[in-house]
Amino acid sequence: MSRSRTPFLVLAALVVAGPVLGLASAAVASTTTHTPYQTGRVDAGTPNSTTVTKNSAGQVVSYGDPAITYTTPSPSLATLGQSLFLENCASCHGTQANGVPANGTSGAYPDLVGLGPATIDFWVESGRMPAADPTAVQAKRRTPRLDQNQALAIAAWINSLSPSYPGIPSVNLKDANVSDGAALFALNCAACHTIEGDGDALASGTFAPSLRNVPAYQVAEAIRTGPGNMPRFTGNLSDYQVADIVKYVTTEIQHPQNVGGFGLGGLGPVAEGFVGLLLGVGLLALVGFWVGERQ
Amino acid sequence: MSQTVTTKRSQRESAGPYGKIGHTLNELDDRLGVAKGGRTFLDKIFPDHWSFMLGEIALYSFVVLLVTGIFLTLYYIPSQDLTTYTGSYLPLYGQKVTEAYASSVNLSFAVRGGLLMRQMHHWSCDIFVGAIVLHMGRVFFTGAFRKPRELNWTIGTTLLILAIVNGFLGYSLPDDLVSGTGIRIAYSIILSIPLVGTYVAFFLFGGNFPGTAIIPRFFILHVLIIPLVILGLVGAHMGLLVRQKHTQFPGKGKTEKNVVGSPMYPVFMAKTTGFMFVVTGAIALLGAFAQINPIWQFGPYTASRISYAVQPDWYMGFLDGALRIFPAWSFHSFGYTIPLEVTIPAVIFPGILFNLIMVWPAIERKFTKDNALHNLLDRPSNRPKRTAAGVTVAVLCSMLFIASSTDVMANFFHVSLNTVLWSMRILCIVTPIIAYPVTYKICREMQGFAGAGKRKTTNVVSRTAEGEYLATPAPVYVDDVVHEHEHEAVAIPTFVSEPVAEDEASPSGVRRIPR
Repeated sequence: MSRSRTPFLVLAALVVAGPVLGLASAAVASTTTHTPYQTGRVDAGTPNSTTVTKNSAGQVVSYGDPAITYTTPSPSLATLGQSLFLENCASCHGTQANGVPANGTSGAYPDLVGLGPATIDFWVESGRMPAADPTAVQAKRRTPRLDQNQALAIAAWINSLSPSYPGIPSVNLKDANVSDGAALFALNCAACHTIEGDGDALASGTFAPSLRNVPAYQVAEAIRTGPGNMPRFTGNLSDYQVADIVKYVTTEIQHPQNVGGFGLGGLGPVAEGFVGLLLGVGLLALVGFWVGERQ
Repeated sequence: MSQTVTTKRSQRESAGPYGKIGHTLNELDDRLGVAKGGRTFLDKIFPDHWSFMLGEIALYSFVVLLVTGIFLTLYYIPSQDLTTYTGSYLPLYGQKVTEAYASSVNLSFAVRGGLLMRQMHHWSCDIFVGAIVLHMGRVFFTGAFRKPRELNWTIGTTLLILAIVNGFLGYSLPDDLVSGTGIRIAYSIILSIPLVGTYVAFFLFGGNFPGTAIIPRFFILHVLIIPLVILGLVGAHMGLLVRQKHTQFPGKGKTEKNVVGSPMYPVFMAKTTGFMFVVTGAIALLGAFAQINPIWQFGPYTASRISYAVQPDWYMGFLDGALRIFPAWSFHSFGYTIPLEVTIPAVIFPGILFNLIMVWPAIERKFTKDNALHNLLDRPSNRPKRTAAGVTVAVLCSMLFIASSTDVMANFFHVSLNTVLWSMRILCIVTPIIAYPVTYKICREMQGFAGAGKRKTTNVVSRTAEGEYLATPAPVYVDDVVHEHEHEAVAIPTFVSEPVAEDEASPSGVRRIPR
């Protein structure tokens, strides 16, 4: 498929719209059965909305409201993406990104075809992929091995194998309502990520990661695509509501109004108990020790 | 003829030997007879040992609790009626919240000094219960609860229970997401009581959870009923203390028949007043600089919402830990369900624990057959069985306390939550079993070791002219010559009613009075 697209690469250097159109025509040809919203594994993580806006290339850029716009990475990056994929990802996910590595075992690693650019972009740009330890129960966020452009390139190549949704979200935070976001966060997110967004350990070595240092678009990607154990929030949250949550996370969770002194790490009563007992009672007992006789 | 000249000196002399204050006191005494009681009070002897100050931390943090609590009641609205939050905290603006929650957030953000008062109130509660537990440990391990002080031990234990209960009620009042979860757990614990659980729960909550009655009911219990009972029991605790006089550690000049220490006036009064300011100051510093319970971040409680990683305040931790690690056992039969995984750790276990603590003096008397009056304290090492029993219970409760943060530990150390859970299950059983013999053995070793508790002396190394090195032990410290740390044969339990030896030298700065 990448070979058949090579002629467009010349055009890509000159015009942006050209290759997009070109790929779109190929995409339409191969994905005519795709609905723009989630029906199964393919297109997982697209909002359940039949109202969609498409760009000139025929790709869905929003799902009925302007709170989030979705972009598909430029297919001109696909060649770069393929070579990056072969270098960094293929040893587990296989050369065709179908989760079958060279030794032929299938089922051990996820099939990436059809998952949509947002999924690929989230895992690479949060530093979780390429995995530091492929045997770990859950990958941790770390400094990304690949930069943003390289992540987009890999997403572009995988998308070229079977064009799918959702694209990479761009959240319009200006009109989002932080109060609604707080309520939705308490309802949907706090049960794992904790109400202060610090994350915590879940069963059997899995954990809900901290939300303190996650950029806005990655929060939206995670909500829509449900990485790892996280559920995909597709039908029950509109793009407006996702934007509200993203605004709450990127403002109040990441920059809490910590009035009342040191926040004690957001550990709640555990830290408070230690401070109260060791610093409070302990110091006062020491003062008593100092005031009293010691024989 | 002598002329009467009014000078300052003659005025002073005419006022009598006690001056104007003395005159006023005399007038009071003529009418109310305060001299006798006042003299007893001012002359009350307080032992100087530092461990006797632990109870005072509890007393003074209770005073802070009362003062800050009165401030909070001025602004808190004990109601579960829904209102729209329109205060200054943006993420809550426009949300439907209860009056209780809105007023708690408002008193934190909109009332001058409100957040400081709320944080001081919460910190002093943590310190209050902590100091009670420390004080209780001191009383237990030194045997201060023995005859004639069993009643005061019972009062103290009741105070601990009331403090824990009132702490729980208090942190539930803001009606935030975290405390609402706590109320939900308390409701389930009450439900789990066999036979009467549902009736008791519906009675207390005025119907099914959450209802609208619980916050007003908790409020009255928290600010009126339980504080009054605590206040009364604190009075009884102190009254008995004055009536029965202090215990003291054995030592030079200290016998079963006397109390050695500083009198209330002036030494102890200065000391304790200073200590009160230190306690108040420490709580004020914590309230000003350490955030506690940021309820605005938690949001209001609704039954459909929950936050992960929720722990109760530390004094409820051992119960939470027991609930967390108990295996999922339950009993289903005859159309009834008894959730043993809740009933055993949260109802039966604390029931046994607190009853055991209450009746411990009687249990010990039964075993030692010691019916004598005791005013001199034990060294813990001289009572290895009691010390080992106390350490066992303390270790169990500490392990359960640690178990209440299984998720925090798993997250912090990057290990599986299941591993932590099973580790805590094993530790909670194994560590108390190990603690008893180890403590017992250490106590016995300390009894047998003559130098225990004394400072080591230096070795003076000298070099002779021939180049030979000699190490000579320096003489023991003068203070350590007194053999107070040495193992005394465990007292034969009889009350020796010998008179106080009059020729014993009184240590400087202390007074000794017969009982």
